[in-house]
Amino acid sequence: MSTLPFGPRNPPEDPLLAKAAELPKDVAPPRDLWPAIAARIAKAGDAPAKPAFRWPLALAAAFLVASVSALMTWSLVRDPQQAEPAVIAEAPTAGADIVPVRYGPNSGVSAAELAARDALLGEFKSAFATLRPETREAIQKNLAVMQAAADEIDAALAKDPASGMLQGMLAGTYKQELNLYSTVVTAGDGLTRRT
Amino acid sequence: MPAPQVDSSAELVRRACRGDMGAFEDLYRQHIGRVYGLCLRMTGRPESAEDLAQDTFVSAWRSLPGYEGRSSFSTWLHRIAVNTVLARRRSPQGRNEISMTDDSGEQMDFEAEGRMDEATPIDVERAIASLPPGARDIVVLHGIYGYSHEEAAEMLGVAVGTCKAQLHRARHLMRTRMGTEQAT
Repeated sequence: MSTLPFGPRNPPEDPLLAKAAELPKDVAPPRDLWPAIAARIAKAGDAPAKPAFRWPLALAAAFLVASVSALMTWSLVRDPQQAEPAVIAEAPTAGADIVPVRYGPNSGVSAAELAARDALLGEFKSAFATLRPETREAIQKNLAVMQAAADEIDAALAKDPASGMLQGMLAGTYKQELNLYSTVVTAGDGLTRRT
Repeated sequence: MPAPQVDSSAELVRRACRGDMGAFEDLYRQHIGRVYGLCLRMTGRPESAEDLAQDTFVSAWRSLPGYEGRSSFSTWLHRIAVNTVLARRRSPQGRNEISMTDDSGEQMDFEAEGRMDEATPIDVERAIASLPPGARDIVVLHGIYGYSHEEAAEMLGVAVGTCKAQLHRARHLMRTRMGTEQAT
């Protein structure tokens, strides 16, 4: 990470960005915010928090997400000839049990990203209801692993909110969740046989 | 006559880490303008920006022992501010806040017109404030505060290519809204 001071390193060629670069970097708040900040700090304790080193847990959780997700993807997309098709009755209420990953207050997953996830979720729930029970169970476990990872990373971000690596790990968990949903939606039909 | 006191951020950070609130207040005085400016420009809402700037400094205080000096203190503080803004946007409170743009970036309130070379700083600020959040973020971080695409992408938790695409979109929207380019 650069330690250069603020301001463009090279003057932008685009006149619009040049205008933006000329804007004042400092904007004074309408009132002094320090008294409120000092009060909140005093309420929390007298000294900065000792760093709780949660990164190993967060790293382990993120690694587990990647491993489990890769296994799940392989399980779902493997050659349907090799995968024994299930003969199951439709379970229209099975998708109702699905709880998407909840991202904590320190994560930077945007409202737009959550909306995109939720848009895919409906289709996923429909496909999920047609899967074999053991596949549904595996997916539920996979989602639980992702939830645990999101919780660990969120807790680590609370201690180290400036960490780009933790943000990246959280973004990876989000992508794995989306990948799981889209994999089920696209591959689910080849893995089931309805009665 | 006492020598003029020159206190760098590094020394203030060391003292603040030991629980010196006076040193942390000095850090606040040094950096509040840029932190508030960043929060204000990313949200477009003065009330939210005040809350977010407060949250940023409280979070920074708690995290000071974890600051290892690999980046400048101001960059570290800005990372916290960006994460704080992004987390607020995701919260139910943030989702209910009124924005000057809708999700697709359609303009809701912007009337500036004129050529780019005649644009005043207020015109540019208003054009930036009218952008959809993703495009606005990259203009603020890259265009105003001078972070590289790589740094901005890391702060925002997106790919570098996404940053560049958002900047391209932002430039087009701003030009259109400032009357220097026909809408397509």
